[in-house]
Amino acid sequence: MFVGKPLRRREDVKFVSGRGRFVDDLLPPRTAHVAFVRSPHAHARIVDIDVEQARQADGVLRVLTAEDWDAAGHGSLVCVHPMPFSDGRPMNEVLRPAFATKKVCHVGDIVAAVIAETKHDAVHAGELVEIDYEVLAANVETGRALDEDCPIVHEVFDGNLVNDVIHGDREATSAAFAEAAHVTSLTLVSNRLAAMPLEPRAYLAEHDAERDETTLWATAQMPHMLRQWICRYALHLPEHKLRVIAPDVGGGFGVKGNFTPEIPTIVWMARELGRPMKWTCSRSEALQSDSQGRDHVTHARMAFDADGHILGLEVETLAALGAYLSNFAPSIPGNSYPQTLTGLYRTRAAYARVRGVYTNTVPIDAYRGSGRPEATLVNERLLENGAREMGIDVVEMRRRNLLSREDFPYKTPIGRTYDSGDPPAMLEKLLAMADYDELRREQARLRAEGRLMGIGLAVFLDKSGTGPSKALARKGGLHGGYETACARVNSDGGVTLFMGTHSHGQGHDITYAAIAADRLGLDIDAIEVVEGDTGRIAHGNGTWGSRSVSVGGAALHRACGEVLAKAHRIAAHLLEVAVEDLRYEPPLFTVPGSNRSVSFAEVADVAYHGARLPADHSIEPGLESTIFHDPDDSNDPSAMHLAVVEVDPRTGRVAVRRYVTVDDCGTVINPMIVEGQVHGGLAQGLGQALMENVVYDPASGQLLSGTFMDYAMPRAGDMPRLDMDFHASPTPSNALGAKGGSETGTIGPPAAITNAIVDALWHLGVRDLRMPLTPARVWGAIAEARDAEPEHA
Amino acid sequence: MPSVPSKTIHLSVNGRPVEAEVECRMPLAELLRDRLRLTGTHIGCDTSQCGACTVHVDGVAVRSCTLFAVQADGSEVRTIEGVGTAGEPHPLQAAFQEHHALQCGFCTPGMIMTALELLRTVPSPTPETVRHYLEGNLCRCTGYYNIVKAVLAAAAETQGTGRPADEGSGHASL
Amino acid sequence: MHPFDHQAPDTLAAAVKALAEDEDAQALAGGMSLVPVLRHRLAAPSVLVDLSRIPDLSFIRDHGDRLEIGAMTKHATVAASPEVRRRIPALAGLAGDIGDPLVRNRGTIGGSLANNDPAACYPSALLGLGGTVRTDRREIAADDFILGTFETALAPGELIVAVSFPVPEMAVHLKEKNFASRFSVVGLFLSRTGGRVRIGVTGAGPHAFRPTAFEDALSADFTPGALGGLAVPAGELNEDQHASAAYRSHLISVLAAMAVERCLAGGDGPRDGRA
Repeated sequence: MFVGKPLRRREDVKFVSGRGRFVDDLLPPRTAHVAFVRSPHAHARIVDIDVEQARQADGVLRVLTAEDWDAAGHGSLVCVHPMPFSDGRPMNEVLRPAFATKKVCHVGDIVAAVIAETKHDAVHAGELVEIDYEVLAANVETGRALDEDCPIVHEVFDGNLVNDVIHGDREATSAAFAEAAHVTSLTLVSNRLAAMPLEPRAYLAEHDAERDETTLWATAQMPHMLRQWICRYALHLPEHKLRVIAPDVGGGFGVKGNFTPEIPTIVWMARELGRPMKWTCSRSEALQSDSQGRDHVTHARMAFDADGHILGLEVETLAALGAYLSNFAPSIPGNSYPQTLTGLYRTRAAYARVRGVYTNTVPIDAYRGSGRPEATLVNERLLENGAREMGIDVVEMRRRNLLSREDFPYKTPIGRTYDSGDPPAMLEKLLAMADYDELRREQARLRAEGRLMGIGLAVFLDKSGTGPSKALARKGGLHGGYETACARVNSDGGVTLFMGTHSHGQGHDITYAAIAADRLGLDIDAIEVVEGDTGRIAHGNGTWGSRSVSVGGAALHRACGEVLAKAHRIAAHLLEVAVEDLRYEPPLFTVPGSNRSVSFAEVADVAYHGARLPADHSIEPGLESTIFHDPDDSNDPSAMHLAVVEVDPRTGRVAVRRYVTVDDCGTVINPMIVEGQVHGGLAQGLGQALMENVVYDPASGQLLSGTFMDYAMPRAGDMPRLDMDFHASPTPSNALGAKGGSETGTIGPPAAITNAIVDALWHLGVRDLRMPLTPARVWGAIAEARDAEPEHA
Repeated sequence: MPSVPSKTIHLSVNGRPVEAEVECRMPLAELLRDRLRLTGTHIGCDTSQCGACTVHVDGVAVRSCTLFAVQADGSEVRTIEGVGTAGEPHPLQAAFQEHHALQCGFCTPGMIMTALELLRTVPSPTPETVRHYLEGNLCRCTGYYNIVKAVLAAAAETQGTGRPADEGSGHASL
Repeated sequence: MHPFDHQAPDTLAAAVKALAEDEDAQALAGGMSLVPVLRHRLAAPSVLVDLSRIPDLSFIRDHGDRLEIGAMTKHATVAASPEVRRRIPALAGLAGDIGDPLVRNRGTIGGSLANNDPAACYPSALLGLGGTVRTDRREIAADDFILGTFETALAPGELIVAVSFPVPEMAVHLKEKNFASRFSVVGLFLSRTGGRVRIGVTGAGPHAFRPTAFEDALSADFTPGALGGLAVPAGELNEDQHASAAYRSHLISVLAAMAVERCLAGGDGPRDGRA
C-alpha cells in the first residue's frame, strides 16, 4: 500500500539541481517582448493618449490601446462566479478590461501595451506613451465605499454597490438576541493581502500559422479554464485552436487561477505578428496587477444564554471587490464566506448580510482560504471576547458549543450541511498537545512578573472541493465543478494518468501515483502523471479550493476501477474462466486451484494488439478509462489552532512562542505533503495576522505597499515552534474519504493569534485589535486602552 | 538613439570559461538565464529582497539580480547547476528532497546557494542560526520548517553529528 | 534599465577623475540601494564608476583609540571582524543585523553612509559614536556629514575613503525592524565614553539625528530613570503605513532606556549568526 505513506516527491530531483522548467525559462528564437503601460493614478479620466512617439521608438513592433482592442472585435474578460442580489436582481457587473477606455480605476490599470524586439525597448517605449489624465477623487476605503459622499468607481451605477446578499434567518436571529443573557459586539477588519507566489506571473505565446494553432505557456493553476476564457470571451477562437501549457509553476495560492488582462493581448499579438510573444511580470507590477485577497469590514454580534451557549450570530459585512469584478470574486464574500460563519458551533440562529463594493483598488479574487479566514475571524473573535466578558474560560466556552460527532451531517442556520467531523476529540487532542492547563499556569506566573503571555484558539470549518456543477450553475456559474482523470495503461503495462488538475507545489505526482498504484495493484514506479497541458488532457477544471485530491483523486479512483474491471474481463477471457473465478494477485491474474495466470502487462499487450480479444467484439481493444467525476457536494475539513504569544509591553513586539494545530482533512494520502501544506498555509496565515498588508493612501489612492520593501511576508526567523497532528474523520462524499488539506493554515492564525494577543492584553483594557498586529499597532492599542481606562494602567 | 554601452567580459561559470559581450546594464542573473541558459537561477523580485537569484561569486553568496554582469568580470561564478550531480547530489540537495523542503521549487536554488555558504562558514549551526542566515531568502510555500530541518540534516550529514532541534515536532504523529 | 557605461578604475585617483569628468557619472559601491533604483528606472547615470576594484578601500585598522574602516568594507566583514567585535562589539552587531546575509555580503559602509537612507543603520553609529568620514579630499565630522534625507556633506564626485570611529567605553545598538525592508522603524546607537553619552537615531526622522536632550540627561545620570519624561516630539518624526510618529517617538525613549540597561549589564556583544 502506498496511500498513507510519506513517499518522496519525484519532481524534486530537477528542482534541487536547477532543472525546473518555468515559463520565464523559455526563450524561443525571435521572441518579441510585451510591456504594459499602467495607470499611476487610482482614479482618473483618460483625456488623451498619444502613442506616436512610442510607435517610432527603436525596436517597437506595435503599440496597442483600447482602440486597437475594440477595432479587432475582441470581447472582454469574464466573471465566472456571479453573485446576484438576494432579491434576484443581477449584480452590478463591470468586468476587468484588457485596456482601460475612458477611465482608469486603480493604480496598475492597463492603458496601453508595447510590443518590441527586446524587453528594454518595450519598457522604454512604454515610457514614451503620453497619457493625459484628469485625476479624480479616489475611493480606497472599504468601510466608506457606500457612504453618500464616496467617489463612485463606475458612474453607470448610482453607487459602489456590487450586490447585497442575505443568508440565514433574520427573524429567528432577532428572537435569539432578544432572549440573550449576554451580547458581544465587534468590528472586524480582514486586512487586504497579496498572495505573492515567489514566481511572478509569466506568459509566452507562439502561433503555428500552418495549423492555425496557438500555444500558450502560462503560469496557470487552471489551464483548461484559461483556454476557455481566452477563446470564448476575449478572442473568439475555437477552444481547440489554443493549447495552454502550464509547465512548472512556482506557487499559485489562487492568483494564478485568474484570467488577468495581460493574457489575451499576448495571445492576440503572437497570432497577429507571427512571433513568439512573452511577458514576465515584475514584482512591483505584480503588486498592482495580481488579484488580491480578503479586505472585509464587518460589524458582528454574538448572543449567548447565561451559560455561554451561542444563541445567535448576526453579521454585516462590506467586502471590497476592487475596481472590477475578477473571475471568482463576487462569490467569495457572497457565497463561500457565509457558509462557514458559524464554524464548528451549534449556533441556534444566524443572519448574515454581505455587500460587495467597488473600490479604486486592484481587483480582489481567490487567495488561499478565500472567505474562510474572514469567517473564522468573525466567529472566533466573538466567541473569545464573549467568553472573557462572561468570565468563562475560552476552552470551556467551546466545549459547551462544539458540535459532536453524532451531529454530522449537520445543517447550519446559514444553510450549509457539513458532512463529517469530530470536533470534541480534536479539541481534546489540541489541548493535550499544547498542555493547555500548564500554559494557563505559566501565564499566571509570568503575569505576576509583569510579563504578558497570551493564549488564543481558533476552531473552524474549512470547505473544499467545490461542486457539483449543478450547484455552481444555480448561482450563474459559468464552469463545471467536476474533475477529469484518464488512466491509460501503456502497452508495457505501466500506466499514465492524465489529470485535469495542476500541481504548482502540492506534490500531485506522488499523491495520484499512490492512489492509482494501490487501486491497480501496481508498483508506484509504473505510474506516471501528466498535468497542465490542454493538448494532452482534453478537459479539466484545474486546481483551486483544495479540490485536487477530493475531486480529481476521486475521479482517478473511479478511472482506475474501470481499467481494473476491463483488465479482469480480458484476463478472464485469456484464461477462459468467468471473471468471478479470477483472483488478482498483483501483478498476476490467477485462477485459484490451477497454475494458470496472466500478468497485468500481458493483459495490456493483448488489449493493444487486439487480435486475442473475443471475436464477437464483446471486449474492444485498448485499456484506458476517462472519468468526469462530478461530486455530490463540497467536503468539510476542519481544524483547530492554538497560539501562544508573548507581548513586549514596551515595544509592542509580539513573539509567537508556540503554535499547535490539529487537522481533519479526512483520509491523508501522503502525510509528508499534507504536513507541508499545513506548514506553508500557516506562514501565510501568520503573515496576515502579524505583518502582511496592502495599503492604499486614503487621500490619493496611491499604492503604498508597491514593492517587497513595503509588503512584508514571513521569513525563516518569523516562524514559531510548531506542533501539529491529524485527526481524520473521512468524508462520505468520495471513495477515498479525502477532504481538502491545503488551506486550514491560512484560516486559523488571524483569529488564533489575534485572540492570543487580546488574551495577553485583556487585563490592560484591550478588547480589540486590527491586523496586521505590528509592534506599532499593538503598542498603540495598549496606549489607547490606558488612555481610555486609566484604572487599568 | 545612442548605442547601448557594452563590454566584453571573461568569467568562469561552474568551472567553465565564458566570454561574453554584454550591455553594461545587464544584471548577472540575466547573463546566466538568457545568454548562458542556466535557468536554475530565478528572479523573484526587483528590490533585492527575495533571494531566488542567489549565486556564488568568488565563493560568496550574492543576489545576481543586484550585480551587473560586468562586475563579475574575472570572477568565478557558481550557480545551482554547478552544485552536485544527478548521480551524486550535494548533501543539501539530498536533504531538501528527503525532508520535503521544497514545494513549488522556485525559491529552492537560491535557498540552497545561501545554505551552502552557511554550512561553509558555520558547519554545525543551531536552528536559530539557520533561520537567521536564511532571512534573505523568501519562500512562500513551505513555512520554512522543512527547509530548516533539511539544512540541519545536511549539516549533520557533512559533520557526522546532529543537533537536536527543539522547535516542536512540526509533524503529525501518523 | 536605462543604458549606462561601466568603469572599474583600480585607483582612487582614477575613480575621482572619472566622476569629476562627467557630472552624470555615479559611483557604485555595493549597489544594494543603487541597483534597485536603476532597475526601477528611477535614475539614469551616464556611467557607473565601480569602486570594487580599488584595493585600498577595504580594510579595518585598529589605531588604539579609533577603529578605521575602509569605505568598501562589506557589512559581513565588519560583523565578523575580530577587531571590531573586540573593540566596538555594538558596531559589529549593527553590521551583522543589516538587511540579511546576502545584503551584508555586498553592501559597504561607505555606500551606506554616502547614500544616507533615513532608515539605514550605519548613520546611527556614525552619530552615536561621533565618527569621522574621510574622503578623497578632507575629513568630515559625523555631525557635519548628515544634512538631510539622502543628503550628505559630500560634494559631487567626492568619495568616502574610510570611516573612523572612536572606541567607546561602552556602546549598544538596538533596532526595531521593518518586517519587509529590514531597515529600521527606529534604530538607536548609544555610546558612553568618559561619562559623556552620544546617541544616534535612525528610521525615525527625515534623517539620522542625535536626541541631544537624551544625551545630556544620560551624561548627567547614566540610568534609565534619567530619561523620565523625555521624548522626541512626534511632530518631528516620520509617520507611514508601518508605524505612527507617536510610536516612533515612544520607541526612541524605550530603546534609549533599554540601551542604558544593556550598558549597565555589560554592553552589547556581537549578534551575528556566525557567533
